[in-house]
Amino acid sequence: MSGKSFTQEWWLQRISAAIIALYVLLLIALLLIYGAPSYSHWQSLFSNNAFKAFTLLALISTFYHGLIGVLHVWPDYVKNAMVSSALNAFSWLAAGGYALYAIYILFFLK
Amino acid sequence: MSDQPLQKTKARPVYRNIGMGDLANYRLPIIGVASIVHRITGVALFVGLIVLLPMLHMSLKSEAGFEAFRTIVWGNWIAKIVLLGLLFAIVYHLVAGVRHMIQDANKWLDLAAARGTATAAFVASIVVTALVAWRIMA
Ligand code: HEM
Ligand code: HEM
Repeated sequence: MSGKSFTQEWWLQRISAAIIALYVLLLIALLLIYGAPSYSHWQSLFSNNAFKAFTLLALISTFYHGLIGVLHVWPDYVKNAMVSSALNAFSWLAAGGYALYAIYILFFLK
Repeated sequence: MSDQPLQKTKARPVYRNIGMGDLANYRLPIIGVASIVHRITGVALFVGLIVLLPMLHMSLKSEAGFEAFRTIVWGNWIAKIVLLGLLFAIVYHLVAGVRHMIQDANKWLDLAAARGTATAAFVASIVVTALVAWRIMA
């Protein structure tokens, strides 16, 4: 897969998981306390730079964590070499596209 | 070796399709289910980003986009089911992921604890999913 060692990948998988978990818990807490947001509420949340930075960190962690995750899952079920390299390529493309798209949404919208 | 008493072998398991009468005795291997559902929710979330990111995009683009997004979500059963499914997926994957990492630290590994915490992970994530769903629909 990548040149990274198994242990390093294992730790990055857990660190990214912890970051995503904190972010999701924050969102769940906000939803439980305030209910569904209005547009102005939502807009002001996303105009806060600290929240934006945390969102970007959480999303990039998600793409990394999800990519490493699915790259471990596919070989358990797919034995055909061509299908499995296609799945790997799609996963990398998806994670890369997600990351560009997220940066666009957070920093270049409008 | 040779003077060991002959042991009666345990009744061998019989493999066949289970019928209605067996359901009462069928033990759900909850630990295995917890593990496969963690895997399924992880993959579902990775794929689900294909709809989640455009939703974030729409909701932040303009007030009209935000309202259009709400109409799609609330006006449509398929969208509701998909989003509730993804909500359950993230909550369950989080809870089961934390359990997994606690087990990585060599805790909760005996059978009783592994079973109990697997069941607890399902119950807790169903409760949290229901609470959030109720809160945003109310
Ligand atoms: C909410 C916080 C999260 C936590 C605490 C978490 C935790 C974990 C952990 C500990 C693993 C490793 C399981 C193993 O080694 O067998 C894992 C695997 C995985 N995660 Fe997450 N995760 C989180 C969020 C996500 C998200 C948002 C996605 C989707 C993009 C995701 C996708 C995956 C996938 C695909 C796997 C591989 C599943 C497997 O190998 O069975 N996770 N997660
Ligand atoms: C590098 C990645 C991407 C860039 C730079 C990008 C850029 C853009 C731009 C400039 C617009 C027009 C916004 C406007 O009218 O003000 C747009 C609209 C849109 N994009 Fe993307 N996009 C990307 C990826 C994606 C992906 C992956 C999807 C979905 C799978 C997507 C779905 C949409 C949708 C649904 C709209 C219409 C939103 C609306 O008008 O409310 N985009 N995008």
